[in-house]
Amino acid sequence: MKPKVLLNKVSFWCVTAVTSAALMQSIAPVTANEVKIPTEVTDLGKDTYKKYCSPCHGEEGKGDGPVARSMLPKPRDFTRGAYKFRTTPSGSLPTDEDIYRTVSFGVPNSTMIPWDILTEEQRASVIPVLKSFSEAFEVRKPDAPVEVGLRVRPTEKCLAEGKKIYEEKLECWKCHGIEGRGDGPSAAEQEDDFGFPIKPFDFTTGKFKGGNSPQDVYLRFTTGLNGTPMPSFAKELTDEERWCLTYYVMSLIKPEETKK
Amino acid sequence: MKLIYVLSVLFAFLCCNLISSKDILADSKYSETEVPDGGTIIGNVKYMGELAAVGLNLYRDWELSDTSKTTSEKLICSKVNSGLKNAVVSLKDITQGKKKIIPAIHPIIDQQNNYFIPHVIAIVSGTTVDFLNGDEQMHNIHTRSTRNQPFNFGTTYKQRISKKFDYPEIIKITCDLHKNAYAWIVVLDHPYFDATDRNGYFEICDIPPGTYTFQVWHEELGTLEKEVTVHPKETTTIEFVYSQN
Repeated sequence: MKPKVLLNKVSFWCVTAVTSAALMQSIAPVTANEVKIPTEVTDLGKDTYKKYCSPCHGEEGKGDGPVARSMLPKPRDFTRGAYKFRTTPSGSLPTDEDIYRTVSFGVPNSTMIPWDILTEEQRASVIPVLKSFSEAFEVRKPDAPVEVGLRVRPTEKCLAEGKKIYEEKLECWKCHGIEGRGDGPSAAEQEDDFGFPIKPFDFTTGKFKGGNSPQDVYLRFTTGLNGTPMPSFAKELTDEERWCLTYYVMSLIKPEETKK
Repeated sequence: MKLIYVLSVLFAFLCCNLISSKDILADSKYSETEVPDGGTIIGNVKYMGELAAVGLNLYRDWELSDTSKTTSEKLICSKVNSGLKNAVVSLKDITQGKKKIIPAIHPIIDQQNNYFIPHVIAIVSGTTVDFLNGDEQMHNIHTRSTRNQPFNFGTTYKQRISKKFDYPEIIKITCDLHKNAYAWIVVLDHPYFDATDRNGYFEICDIPPGTYTFQVWHEELGTLEKEVTVHPKETTTIEFVYSQN
């Protein structure tokens, strides 16, 4: 091989490597993993909590801040360690990333806004403060996140199976209603662990509280919502059935309702 | 050389395991010993208050299906001797005593006709409880606890869920689909306890001689305490009375 050709080849590969590395840097998503979540309560965390969280969640995390009275759903009481949106099994404490996700993205259909006005560092610093309110974090450890099974395709057969589960097997309609409007026969009497009335979710609005992707909806069936009557169906449904139910529930979204 | 290396790694691993298991059991004050001359306590829990509204079936003369009749399980009291069912009698602050026997056959809490059966169970820490669904409809099992991991599982007909309770706590179990269904699990870290039967009787045996505080817990009436001296190889009779208010 001539030296010139060799040089060409080497330079080509060098350039390719450099560009791909640069691309990787810019494409790599900014996830919760990249933010360093402190393990100890910091001054920044205390200040951020006092300024932005305590008006609703209360100085001691009991969900009894000055503005909380007029709110429904009520702000979360952190003293029990019951967090709704998790990737861990039913009843388990959330991972730090789960809390970070809820703080960053907020909870639609409630007064919890996405706290993207805060810096990532500020959002991460609140997490140890929230955990310090509950003795549950001292006596228990969060379980490993559940495995999300391979996603199946939303075929008509799959949707039909989802409908069957919704209406016959799990009787989801008893709370969420046949049309998914959250108006089932047992809907009115539901209470959360703290004794406040709680409304079953209205699927037609399409603003899923734990996130709008199929995987988020799938996780809600699998993990349940701690502190609420919504149970986990991890023992009842196979992986495929949960995906079918996910697609069926998402098919209940009514476009005209989402604009309200 | 290789063997020594492998052995040392194994040893380190075992040490780690021992340390971590000690950590978990650190707060359990109870230790097991032989009790050769244990005494027995038998007794009765009574409720002397009025039972006017309790157990009253408003729909007695109506022709309704069984599920729509509402009866309360809060206070179940025998008409013969006012004995109170579903109270849990236990020794308070006992540090040494007989061996904790964790039942190999799991105690069962079944859901039948929208009720939990039994309504109250008392177990020693470390026991696994099986939750069944005996109804041909959907139920859920929702516990509220702090030390033991809470859970909330939806169950269909014939589903069985096993859960282990490791720490002493009084846990309420509900079914959110049927509001009048709930049950209690009383977890204790020593084996000296008993739940009263339908006439309010209980029996606790093999207690090391000495003076102890006995405690009785009832979901509606709260707790009562009484100091009793246990004599070796003798049976002592005690009585707890819940008066009205």
